[in-house]
Amino acid sequence: MSYIKSYGLYVPAFKIQGNVLHPSGRKNEHRIAYVDEDIITMSFEAAQQCLHTVSKKIDAVFFAGNTPVFKNRYHASYLADLLQIPQNILALDFFQTNRSGTDALLMAHQLIKSKEFKNILIVAANQSFPSIGKESEIPFGHAAVALLVSASNGFIKLNHTKSYSVGYAEEFEYKNNTVTYDPRFSRVVGFQTAFKSMLAELNTKNISSFIINSSYAKAAISDLKNAGVNIETQLTNDQVVPSLGYTGAAHALLRFIYAAENKSEHNVLIDYNNGINLIGFSVLENKTVSLNKGSNINTYQDYLIIRKASNFNSYKYKTIDMFSSEMMNEREKNQLINLNGFECAECKTTYLIKSEQCKNCKNKIFLLKKLNTEGKVFTYTKEFYFPASFAPITMVVIDLIGGGRITVQLTDDMFIEQKNKLQIGSKVKLVLRKMLENGNKPNYFYKCIVEP
Amino acid sequence: MKDIAIIGIGVTKFGELFHQSYDDLVRDAAIQAISDAQISIDDIGAAWLSTAFPEIGVYKGRSGMDLCEPLSLYNIPVTRVSNYCASGGDAIRNAANALRAGECDVAMALGVEKLRDRQPQDSIVKMMVEYGHPYLQKGFTAAGTFAVYANRIMHEYGVTREDISSISVKNHFHGTLNHKAHHRIACSLEEVMTSPMVANPLTVMDSCPTTDGAACVIMVRAEDVDKLKHKPVYIKGIGFSISTGWDMPFFDPNHNFLSFEATRKAAQTAYKQAGITKPIEEIDLIEVHDCFSIVELLTYEDLGLCKPGEAKDLLRGNETKLGGSIPVNVSGGLLSCGHPVGATGIRMVHEVATHLRNNAGERQVKNAQTGMTHNIGGPGAIASVIILSNQI
Repeated sequence: MSYIKSYGLYVPAFKIQGNVLHPSGRKNEHRIAYVDEDIITMSFEAAQQCLHTVSKKIDAVFFAGNTPVFKNRYHASYLADLLQIPQNILALDFFQTNRSGTDALLMAHQLIKSKEFKNILIVAANQSFPSIGKESEIPFGHAAVALLVSASNGFIKLNHTKSYSVGYAEEFEYKNNTVTYDPRFSRVVGFQTAFKSMLAELNTKNISSFIINSSYAKAAISDLKNAGVNIETQLTNDQVVPSLGYTGAAHALLRFIYAAENKSEHNVLIDYNNGINLIGFSVLENKTVSLNKGSNINTYQDYLIIRKASNFNSYKYKTIDMFSSEMMNEREKNQLINLNGFECAECKTTYLIKSEQCKNCKNKIFLLKKLNTEGKVFTYTKEFYFPASFAPITMVVIDLIGGGRITVQLTDDMFIEQKNKLQIGSKVKLVLRKMLENGNKPNYFYKCIVEP
Repeated sequence: MKDIAIIGIGVTKFGELFHQSYDDLVRDAAIQAISDAQISIDDIGAAWLSTAFPEIGVYKGRSGMDLCEPLSLYNIPVTRVSNYCASGGDAIRNAANALRAGECDVAMALGVEKLRDRQPQDSIVKMMVEYGHPYLQKGFTAAGTFAVYANRIMHEYGVTREDISSISVKNHFHGTLNHKAHHRIACSLEEVMTSPMVANPLTVMDSCPTTDGAACVIMVRAEDVDKLKHKPVYIKGIGFSISTGWDMPFFDPNHNFLSFEATRKAAQTAYKQAGITKPIEEIDLIEVHDCFSIVELLTYEDLGLCKPGEAKDLLRGNETKLGGSIPVNVSGGLLSCGHPVGATGIRMVHEVATHLRNNAGERQVKNAQTGMTHNIGGPGAIASVIILSNQI
């Protein structure tokens, strides 16, 4: 038996309506990661939220996704390091298909059952885009979700899990052309065959709700009816797609979280992608999912800039190969990423940057001090000539609550509302974002957002 | 300390000098100064070359040898000085100290920068984008590092956008009187304020241009001046201070963004050496480092010309305009002359010396006897203050 102890959910501040992507597009919404976001930054936010109220020792971190940032590097290890989780843990990546979110959950459940693991953090994130011009056909969306799977009580209880393997690939390729998926084959030979096998083993009458996470879900309806399932009352609609879009590897776990809005026993989550993961669970305690309001991206051009698919050869935007150094990042992460500053033992001035003696009182003794991520604007400027996707960049000098000063870029300010415009004295919050524009070797550092 | 005299000065035209190479600029400024001092090249016993950014110019000026080759000035010590935009002031300080120490009898300080062979986006902006720490302060251009001061002083002291931009109007007017200035165009307050924004509240016309140019001074100990030949200008005080690095102003919770500590420290040292106690009464003209208009405003207070918060009153009363009680940047300043980085500090000394010799033509400050230069570098981190007089 295992439980979901807590969860964290991160959705980007921007969204685009289907009819902006294509005149004939449906009016569903897609959440879009900003230019400085990726699955690492979104997962970091979700994981922080998930671990905020629990102080459990983490035994393992699993990272699921289908849009990797790194090659030859574990996203799970990198995230664990950002979260300052000790190194003596199991850190694994699940990056095969969009089913990888529930792959990670299945693995976590089995490890907890083995009693060798007590608390496992699972994070799943998605930042995939469809081909240019195909956006109206695919309900894509970006998000990250984090779950703490635990041996002790939580708000969801995982009763049992099972996996149904499908050996063949569901893709079609002709003489090195682009790989495409043939839905006819996938739906009939893949999904329906596996689904029937799975359904035959279920006592469908005892199940209060079915969550089927597959683009072929409609093809399951006749089989469900034949198995005595009441489609109206037992089959759960997808609440995620209308508000966020299809969020890839995070989607099944998001639907899992949405299911926790209603206390119920005997639910099943069926996640299909080149095989099925089945998770039986009970909701022990209601949780309400709340999303930020989000700002609309109003033009297709802005959308193209966000996905870096536009013409950037103007003075305001150039692809920049900014200097990036693993050695430097490793040396400095304790201060610059973990925000461990130095407080003067004499005058209590706090510095993020190390110096031999206090600039204020010349004292040489400092105490380590963890800096806050919230503060107030001391001064700022808008830079119109620093290359950026959305100029100007606003540079903000921030006095952090409890001491220390930091200077960072403002972000998520593309369509900032007048009432939230930054000024001296505004409350701001630090968020981890990507600094490097070319994306090959991202430098992660803090930017800030205006707190509403 | 032994008094030092400037006996020769030279400056090239500042501007977009496609017809002149780095070496041509060195020769142009050096030969003017050598002729003015009535010496020969081989009389020079030691030299200091000020070039701040070889890598965003023409890759010249990495070492003292880039001064030697154009002049055939060999077999003497020549040192390259690099201290950001205050390199010129530091070159003069080093030359003065060598003369005082007796290392040489005739010293040359020459500043040169060749920036316009590249497009502006590939020089100063590129440097801020691609050099330095991969993420600390990324997002700033040079203008932005001073614009944060502008927004704070507007918030704190009731300084207005008009006050800040009136500095540009004043200095551009002065620039029309200087035939060696890069831009010789008078402008209105409206034109400054409505020109394209660079880093708010600073516009293009609140910002100095990147420029090619060179300036040179020849210095001796005052006791060696031949008054029959020379019109000497004496160095009465030199203050130089580094009060922060690149990062600390933006990470120090005590920094108020209203003042440059480096300027205050350098001025204190220079005033003490020169015996100046009331600068606004004892100094006749000042060349201030107006790389961006806000810097001139802040510097009035840091040099002690007025109390904190009162700089705007000097501007509103036209006190710092030619004809006012304390004219500032009658050359046109960096805003009109441009800013060939390594040359600027020496160009300022050339300008003040010209007035102290009563040779400044229609922009001459009447009865000028004592003048001052202020050269600042980095994000307000480094400052040089030099006090000059035509009286020993």
